[in-house]
Amino acid sequence: MLSSIRLQNFRRHTSLNLNFSDKLNFIVGGNGQGKTSILEAIYYLCTTRGLNSKSDIEVLKFDEDSFEIEATFENLSKDSVRIFFTRADSKKFYFLNNKQVNKSSEIIGKFPVVVLTPADHSITQGSPSERRRFIDSVLSQASRIYLNSLIDYNKTLKQRASLLNLFREKKTRNLLTEIDAWTEKLVISGVELIKQRTRFIVEFNKYISDSYSKVMNGEETPEIIYSSNIQETEAPLEKSFFELLNIKKEEEIKKAVNLVGPHRDDFIFKVNSINLKTFGSQGQHKTFQAALKFAEFFYLKEMTGSTPIFLLDDVFGELDSNRAKKISEYLRTVGQAFITVTDFANFSFIEREKSDVFVNLNNRSLIYA
Amino acid sequence: MQIAEPLQIAIEELNKLPGIGKKTAQRLALHLIKSEETYVDNLLNALKNLKIKLRLCNRCFNLSVEEFCNICQSNKRDQQTLCIVEEASDVIAIEKSLEFNGLYHVLGGVLSPLTGVTADSLHIKELILRFEKEQITEVILALNPDTEGETTSLYLAKLIKPLGVKVSRIARGLPIGGDLEFADEATIGKAMINRITL
Ligand SMILES: [Zn+2]
Repeated sequence: MLSSIRLQNFRRHTSLNLNFSDKLNFIVGGNGQGKTSILEAIYYLCTTRGLNSKSDIEVLKFDEDSFEIEATFENLSKDSVRIFFTRADSKKFYFLNNKQVNKSSEIIGKFPVVVLTPADHSITQGSPSERRRFIDSVLSQASRIYLNSLIDYNKTLKQRASLLNLFREKKTRNLLTEIDAWTEKLVISGVELIKQRTRFIVEFNKYISDSYSKVMNGEETPEIIYSSNIQETEAPLEKSFFELLNIKKEEEIKKAVNLVGPHRDDFIFKVNSINLKTFGSQGQHKTFQAALKFAEFFYLKEMTGSTPIFLLDDVFGELDSNRAKKISEYLRTVGQAFITVTDFANFSFIEREKSDVFVNLNNRSLIYA
Repeated sequence: MQIAEPLQIAIEELNKLPGIGKKTAQRLALHLIKSEETYVDNLLNALKNLKIKLRLCNRCFNLSVEEFCNICQSNKRDQQTLCIVEEASDVIAIEKSLEFNGLYHVLGGVLSPLTGVTADSLHIKELILRFEKEQITEVILALNPDTEGETTSLYLAKLIKPLGVKVSRIARGLPIGGDLEFADEATIGKAMINRITL
């Protein structure tokens, strides 16, 4: 669990020290009071990256030269993570247990975190790239093998596009054999990615139905369908991949773009066999987004063996009281969560427990309920 | 603080070396100031000779003093087996293993169109000519198992296989003497995929 954080010149917080409960932590405050920044700091310390891809400069307090944030985790052992950023170097420095570490990868994955924010609407309502990003992020956190395959595939895409571009300019025949080699590499790495995604979706569907019924109290049946432009028919994946590449070869060279492969995959979300993106109601979208994050939580817990920290930003305001109550009760039983709300008075239906922590940012006071 | 200019310049130059930070560079420079003059002269000569006396072997592009390197000149090496590597440093690594007694061919890099490296910027044309001039029957590809290294292996296999030469790639997997539990998942995964029948 995350037992405390310290923020210095992070967003609008000049200096802030907070202690947390191992169950529910409510961060209460009006707009612009800096409640989301507290979740951002937690996310930063777990992942070394900004929430919603915010840059380091963006989270630095206006007019300041550097920020420093620190977290103390108490699990089997007590660990501290500190991140220091200076405007002058435009560089971050990482410290694990007060010892400087050079690579962010020494921190990433040590303290898994799951976030549910209003921005998640894009996962179910946005373009396929948003869904790929979600699936890739869950899989990469759970499996180093997948992360390596993904990096390898993305590198291959960049190299191949660059070569296609070179061929378009120079039209040297010699380059054709080179394109063939990069194509073969694309197929090898791409098939690897497709196989891992296929296996993952089968597994993840169990988690999504579980969280849909248990957490969201939904009576509908959710499902994720993996939709790749390369389909396994009677022929092996490799063959279908090569065939499709052959059909698109001229167009690929003309446009100097990779047109075939798992970088164009989509994942179709269904509720009771009906396509959510096309026919889903606003409520079904919200429920599905939350269910995805709960599924991520339980999946990571199972695969990594450590319980993630759950961050919920401004989510309760968008859910009906029944669902919000259900979610908060469930969260209490599974682990530690951080929940931002504008006004707790609106959430009187949530039963307060002794161990819960309330951080009230309106009057800058810490209330332990 | 002002540092005397010669010292400043020496620190900056040393700092350009891989793995040498500002602090280490300063320590090395101060150490050299205190060292005997003959030592500094010897060091200077050794460094200069790296550029003056060393060249690339005319046949395999390994580092060499003469037109052909020691390995190419040796009559104890198997002339029919060729090991293809990225850099001369890989030759040193494989030679240390004492497991290979054939000849080498150093490509001078791997395919990477993003950074402007295509086949004609590597020693590949010279490699193909060797198959005409020499009696090579087997090729071992010993390139790094990264994206570019693997693609270069695929490319070379496409060129060499039609010549009727046996082509293999070095196996990769767990480091010898390494404990399974300390190897990262990616290595174990690859080792599982590339398992061999006994
Ligand atoms: Zn030689």
